[in-house]
Amino acid sequence: MSRTIIDVHVLQTVPPSNLNRDDTGTPKTAVYGGVRRARVSSQAWKRATRRAFQNLLDPSELGVRTRRVAELLADRITAVEPSLDQAAALVLAAETLHTATGSKIEVPRRKADSAKKKGEPEPPPESSYLMFLSSRQLDGLARLAVEGADDIKVFLKAKENKDKARELADTRHSVDIALFGRMVADSADINVDAAAQVAHAISVHQVENESDYYTAVDDQNERDEESGAGMIGTVDFNSATLYRYAALDVDRLRDNLGVGLRPDEPLHEPVRRAVRAFLHGFVASMPTGKINTFGNHTLPEAVIVTLRSARPISFVAAFEEPVLAPQAVGGHLRGACTQLLAHASDIEKAYDVTDDPSWVLHVGAATEPLAALGTEVSLSGLLDAVGKAVADRLAAPTRSEDAGAVPTQAPAPAAEGESQPA
Amino acid sequence: MSDRTSVLTLRLAGPLQSWGASSRFARRTTERAPTKSGVVGLLAAAQGRDRAADIADLAALRFAVRLDQPGTRVRDYQTAHHAETGKSMPVSERFYLSDAVFVAAVEGDTDLIGALHAAVRSPVYLPFLGRRSCPPSRPVDLRVHRGGLWRALESEPWQASAWVQRRRSHERRVELEVIADLPTGEGPGDAVRDRPLSFDPHHRRYGLRAVHSRAVTVPNPLGGSPSTSRRDFVPPKHDPMGLLED
Repeated sequence: MSRTIIDVHVLQTVPPSNLNRDDTGTPKTAVYGGVRRARVSSQAWKRATRRAFQNLLDPSELGVRTRRVAELLADRITAVEPSLDQAAALVLAAETLHTATGSKIEVPRRKADSAKKKGEPEPPPESSYLMFLSSRQLDGLARLAVEGADDIKVFLKAKENKDKARELADTRHSVDIALFGRMVADSADINVDAAAQVAHAISVHQVENESDYYTAVDDQNERDEESGAGMIGTVDFNSATLYRYAALDVDRLRDNLGVGLRPDEPLHEPVRRAVRAFLHGFVASMPTGKINTFGNHTLPEAVIVTLRSARPISFVAAFEEPVLAPQAVGGHLRGACTQLLAHASDIEKAYDVTDDPSWVLHVGAATEPLAALGTEVSLSGLLDAVGKAVADRLAAPTRSEDAGAVPTQAPAPAAEGESQPA
Repeated sequence: MSDRTSVLTLRLAGPLQSWGASSRFARRTTERAPTKSGVVGLLAAAQGRDRAADIADLAALRFAVRLDQPGTRVRDYQTAHHAETGKSMPVSERFYLSDAVFVAAVEGDTDLIGALHAAVRSPVYLPFLGRRSCPPSRPVDLRVHRGGLWRALESEPWQASAWVQRRRSHERRVELEVIADLPTGEGPGDAVRDRPLSFDPHHRRYGLRAVHSRAVTVPNPLGGSPSTSRRDFVPPKHDPMGLLED
């Protein structure tokens, strides 16, 4: 079977920062190669990537992940049918969502109680976990709800309308749902299996978290000539050169995006746009943790993208032996590039994959050796080249028969791994 | 063990892996070694079987896992952000094994083992080590062995990282723990709920599996070199009172 998988490798240096902290406020870490490393969780960077999509894609191609999905749908219902008031629209929305997703949409009891106590009107209903629906799915559900507005309960009881509601929630997936998947605990058959796999970013070198003790001055006290701090505290941080890796299963992406497309719609265009958005978003985004404290707005020093034909290959083992900063020069980037180049060449040779097309974006002299790994490109060059290569592969004659194929079902999971609440 | 059975060995290594057996909901723990259901899931996904597919043939494979480098446990606390308020909400507590290396082995019919070997080299669904955010640090397939499970695990070189092998360089051979399926009729063993019956998300089911733990001994590639051996270390002569004498 012909496969298309995109490997993305990124080296990125961040100054003192706290991109992703645990519940005690310290930056996340992991042990690798026997020493402690800085770590940024995959979900943190996936969220940053998803946020970056807002500037890269049309809102109609995106989804919204929220518990307040009933309000969202109600807004669309009143947009379709302005004669409906908000309260009626909320009732329609809750019923339609319940039928489409199998999940209960109710007013959270605590919020209801507190509103009652304060004599406020009843708050809008919510789903019990984060719901992820595409803009197109919400529009479709809004139209269906309006259609059955006279008596929504009876309307949705009819088998054809019930099926329609479920189908609407399971077709025309947005780019972000197609990439990152969707988990609906109450209705496993409308789950979407993620096409992108994002690894936790880890530093290529040993890292110890540091703690910054700070005092804040009370401006009023200063005027009154009172001594002492207005408040004191500590903030933990580290600085790191990170190795970030993601694999994108283009075949899966094609299947996910293909659900609900008309047979005459060519698939390579939406897939190409989604691939571009993912690459751009993943490469250029940054989790926002403590970003106003540290101002750690950096961009990657090196990006390597490889188009694989059999399986993804992470290069993280290049850094299993931690990079040591040379005493005279300092910095971990040069050593990281040397180790990455040697490892990538070795592993590609060992597994006979030296011919997979690769592109390299790199900044500065330290990263120069990486140019040997592929065609040198800028960011826009990278997006154009990879997008084109993917579109060409999908449009190739051998693939045309199954280009619009109905997706296979979700894969067997490894352990109970991915069944977190959506 | 006959001519018709072979063993496929897999190297399961990466910065992070997580092999839950019984955890549900918000607290997701990991076992200390890859589970049979996890490895069967990886193989089924590599073959492109969907979640509702029959996995009886894979569950019937004889399974063992060798703990080449046990790793350390990492706790991850995850939050999600409310779309409108931007407030973070606690979602789950997840545990990972970091810096661990395992050799998993499955024994079964030679044709099936051959098909699985081909599948992991060209997987339909991308492989991960128990959780999607944990890709393996290099391709997982090692090789197909003729003969039984234990012979395969005894002949497979020690996969631990060089720094671990170096640290134990005073040992020419190292003893590695193996957690294996207990053949029917042999002793009571330990029962773990780790026999995959169905991965169907509508009714995911696991049965009990009897396991036993045993050790195999394999050579240490970096063992026995006298220069690095701690046992041969002779402290330099140092006599603080020497200058005071006479």
